[in-house]
Amino acid sequence: MAFSPGDRVRTRVIDPPHHTRLPRYARGRIGSIVELEGAWPLADLNAQGTHSLRTEPVYAVRFRAQELWGSGDHDVVLDLWESYLEEAR
Amino acid sequence: MSRINDVGGVDGFGPVDIVDDAQPFHDDWEAHVFAMNGALIAKGVYNLDEFRDAVEQIPPRTFLATSYYERWFMAIRALLVRKGVVTPEEIDGVLAG
Amino acid sequence: MSDDHDDAQLSRQVRALETLLERRDLVDSRGIDQAVEAYLARATAANGARIVARAWVDPGFAGRLLTDANTAVEEVGASMRGGIQTQRLRVVANTDRSHNVVTCTLCSCYPVALLGPSPSWYKSEAYRSRIVREPRGVLAEFGLTLADGIDITVWDSTSESRYLVLPARPAGTDALTETELSGLVTRNGMIGTAAV
Repeated sequence: MAFSPGDRVRTRVIDPPHHTRLPRYARGRIGSIVELEGAWPLADLNAQGTHSLRTEPVYAVRFRAQELWGSGDHDVVLDLWESYLEEAR
Repeated sequence: MSRINDVGGVDGFGPVDIVDDAQPFHDDWEAHVFAMNGALIAKGVYNLDEFRDAVEQIPPRTFLATSYYERWFMAIRALLVRKGVVTPEEIDGVLAG
Repeated sequence: MSDDHDDAQLSRQVRALETLLERRDLVDSRGIDQAVEAYLARATAANGARIVARAWVDPGFAGRLLTDANTAVEEVGASMRGGIQTQRLRVVANTDRSHNVVTCTLCSCYPVALLGPSPSWYKSEAYRSRIVREPRGVLAEFGLTLADGIDITVWDSTSESRYLVLPARPAGTDALTETELSGLVTRNGMIGTAAV
């Protein structure tokens, strides 16, 4: 488990040619770990029929609207596989 | 590249059409598509992520012009061919039906 | 949207595929009808409403619900088991300072076991595109206006967790029984597009 609640993380800037569960609106954004949701096979690989034994932790990550859109006073929480995230300083 | 399903923050879709559907399926064929998908996944013909992937790969113009369960039906057909369960000719036969 | 002509054609096509798959022993037409009926009977918003009502009257249950919802819901005869894939249930509580609303921007993931099949608007591009961007505006379209001081959190179900909103118990309901309370809870309240 790379991350703990409260950790600042940045979502990777990715644009894969395959199925992924990191929405465009949340790529390259800084958020904070809410909690570990569980561990599941990575959807990206599962969708390619490589019946993924690559199970990774999935975290609920909270982002401010300001960070995602430049405006707004709400938060958005997404559930993100660990490989979508990197530490943010 | 992002697919057409990835709509968070996309402008132009207009007000939400808040119809309180009492019916989950507007027609019987929708219920059958729904159940067929469940059966095929349960049998291991494909998994749920492959199914979502197949739905997402419907070309954008078609995707937006097609109803929810018709997209499912398209995705199921594509997956069955990809997995070699049915041939393209058999699908043509199904559609001509 | 499909019109009658489209429905007729799609009916024929779906039936044709079903027949083909039956010959391959992959589906069973009679099984399909039973599966749909069983699904609709089991998966209803009454399950979610029971969970909410119990949480309102029993703080211990509410605590267990917020800590380990998958286990807690079985106390009221609901379950997240039996679906295609194991899903984690996360219950998020509204307070007088915070409001929660749920979506799946990438497709239409939804806690079907507890709320029944999702409404068309939940699956729509209009809802999914806008709720993460301008939740107050979307909620106002549902007739829900939140005071400025109320923080909104939008939960985008991008993985295997499914979210259920625990609405705040309405004022003036102290005299109601648990059953009566569950009758107040709406499906939209448990998605977050209504107050309760």
